[in-house]
Amino acid sequence: MKNEDQPAMLLLGVGGGGCRLAASVRAACGAGMRAVGADTDALANRQAAAGGMTCLLLGGSRLAGHGTGGDAIQGRLAAQDDMQNLQSQMKGVRTVVVVACLGGGTGGGATPEIVKALGEMGIATICFATMPFSFEGQARRKEAERVLPIIEESADSLVVVPLDDLFKDAGDDLLLDNAVTLAEGIIAAGMTLLWRLLSKPGFISVDPERLHTMVLRGGNALFGCGSAGGEDRAVKAVEALRGCRLLRSGAALTRANALLLGILAGSDLRLAEVGAVMREVHKACKPGCHVEMGTVLDPFYEGRVELVALAFESWTAAALAVPQAAAAAEPPQDDIVPVRAGGRKVRSKSASKLSFGATGRGKFKGVEPTLHNNHDLDVPTFMRRGIRLER
Amino acid sequence: MAIPPIAALEIGTSRTVVCVGESGERGRVRITGVGVCPTIGVRKGQIVDLSKVRVGIDKAVKEAEKASGVDIWQVLIALSGGHIQAEVNSGMLAIRSNDHVVSREDMEELGESVNDVLLESDRQLLHTIPLTFTVDDQSGIVKPEGMRCKMLALDVMAIHGLKNRIDNAVNAAKSAKLDVTDVAFSGIGAALSVLTPEHKHNGVALIDLGGGTTSYVAYCNSVFAASGCIAVGGDHITNDVALAFTIPQARAEDVKRRYGSAVIAPDSGNKRVTLPADVGFEERSIGCKALQTVINARVDETLRIVRSRLDDAGVLPHLGAGLILTGGGAYINGVTDLARLVFGLPCRIGVPSNVDGLDGVDQSAALAAVAGLVVHGRNNYEDRGLLSPVKHVLKGWFGR
Repeated sequence: MKNEDQPAMLLLGVGGGGCRLAASVRAACGAGMRAVGADTDALANRQAAAGGMTCLLLGGSRLAGHGTGGDAIQGRLAAQDDMQNLQSQMKGVRTVVVVACLGGGTGGGATPEIVKALGEMGIATICFATMPFSFEGQARRKEAERVLPIIEESADSLVVVPLDDLFKDAGDDLLLDNAVTLAEGIIAAGMTLLWRLLSKPGFISVDPERLHTMVLRGGNALFGCGSAGGEDRAVKAVEALRGCRLLRSGAALTRANALLLGILAGSDLRLAEVGAVMREVHKACKPGCHVEMGTVLDPFYEGRVELVALAFESWTAAALAVPQAAAAAEPPQDDIVPVRAGGRKVRSKSASKLSFGATGRGKFKGVEPTLHNNHDLDVPTFMRRGIRLER
Repeated sequence: MAIPPIAALEIGTSRTVVCVGESGERGRVRITGVGVCPTIGVRKGQIVDLSKVRVGIDKAVKEAEKASGVDIWQVLIALSGGHIQAEVNSGMLAIRSNDHVVSREDMEELGESVNDVLLESDRQLLHTIPLTFTVDDQSGIVKPEGMRCKMLALDVMAIHGLKNRIDNAVNAAKSAKLDVTDVAFSGIGAALSVLTPEHKHNGVALIDLGGGTTSYVAYCNSVFAASGCIAVGGDHITNDVALAFTIPQARAEDVKRRYGSAVIAPDSGNKRVTLPADVGFEERSIGCKALQTVINARVDETLRIVRSRLDDAGVLPHLGAGLILTGGGAYINGVTDLARLVFGLPCRIGVPSNVDGLDGVDQSAALAAVAGLVVHGRNNYEDRGLLSPVKHVLKGWFGR
């Protein structure tokens, strides 16, 4: 499956925040990792490119590299302008991990367009989207909340990371700058763990193809990590994972129908510790939860046990064509899951918030439709693209 | 050579236009009369109500007759619609003479065979436009006469449409007691009235933004390179605006023309437009940014479809003279700026500079297709008696 010339998986940072996160992950993982940054701000792009990441300037002809000024519409148009350039970077890629910070112009405007285009190329997409801090204002929060369902419409899996959750217990003396840096650091660390899990061969390896399948079957996910060292580090690491704010302090594990769990440790990892981790994780999850586990042994983690988890809540409901009773009685097995190779998740029409159907045709109702790439061009473009209007 | 008055008719989605032209100074066509009437009964370039269309034709013809002082009984028809397609047709000929030198007769014989385009039974040929010759293995030859080779090949661009749609347009004209001498693709008409030999030599794409359709033609190195038509036009913008703000179509058309823009102005965020009350319509206001967003999304999408088609045809890198926009849609605010962004090429509105008599006419780019059709009629008239397809092809070779 693996071909060195054609990376099966790629990390794509969109917007200023997304590029920063992608650059952090790349800096931690090294040059072997393929990361691309896409931003409308040329200056930020240059900084990201200095770290060795491939950077694309979106909407250069439109915005002259000055960014969107927080206007999501400009972000969307910029992404459309340079979509071909972006797509040309995706040759041979099967899974793209998109990272974006919502609420801004590029992250909020360009991400839905990019995720949609990737989906149309047949690439599985897992999108990590951060929700802005509440102190960033209602406008940014509302903008982010508007964009989420549009991304969800196109992405195979959406991981929402509310930044507020990370600091619920923070004291009054936490500096704003520290909070932002810390939040980015936590997310980047978690993603780095995930990337290492996927890219480093381990005793029980999780390759990008397994993530690809999990993403296609699993739907939206929550993501978190935990680590511990010293005595009883295996049990403590699971406790840290359960306490992770990003996993809703363990609630995500309790509700998950499937879990992708990575155990990253040094060569001092004992078999009994793997057993202890799995026992504790199974205890934290509900009965019948399907757990895919992988281990990475790396001297980098000597003396510690690091856990990273992706919890898929809609695993059974969205992807398995197994009757509920049977699914509850027995955990789903790979060989009974009818998933086509490269097949894409099909969302139910009723779940769509953007389905306008024939009602959007107006004066062209009853007239032979103008079809282009399976889109009915008689339906207003803003409706098909899910553009919200400030009427 | 003096020509009798020639009348051209365009049954557009938003308006019906009749244009009368005569031979003017230095062999140019002079437009002597224009008649315009809003069209009812056409959707996306296709006739859906013949009787209403006939009324529009009658009115436009009368207006044009009055302006030109000519009785109109014969017209050429400009046609557009999503059904119009273009494809390259190729033919080959073995040069049989002992010296293997290409003669004019060889070119005529090849032209005759290649113009015999094999189409499906429901389609009708509108134009065959010669592209380039291939002399043995050397392609891109413009005039092969006198060259030595064993095999001569010719590519022509065949533009064709659905027979029943073409018949409907002809029948509409006939119902208004007009004879139809020829039917031509409106994109070709616009190119004839607007594009200069320099444009064609440097490479140019002309996009005719009509009411119900968007037609395009492109030339590279003086050779016809691509053409086509998308059944999306200004009517779609109006419909989008009407649906976005839940206002009647007529009101949406007015709002589009007066306040619409294809680019979203950075300072439009808080601006609002008040729509005054009317019978059955309460006063309300709409946000300028929302209006511009709706129009921008539609025009942007349409231009990107044209761009992708030109890209598929491989002509995009060869458009040194940039883009030229014609049709009523070219006058939407900001459309040239948006096209510049989408294509990354210089863009301007094209006025029918190859004809005289339209200098004082407001928004003359909207008349480009029908004015060009008069030029097409003049060219055909000069060929009368030589109207065989072969002579058409020859005209293409020597008329560049």
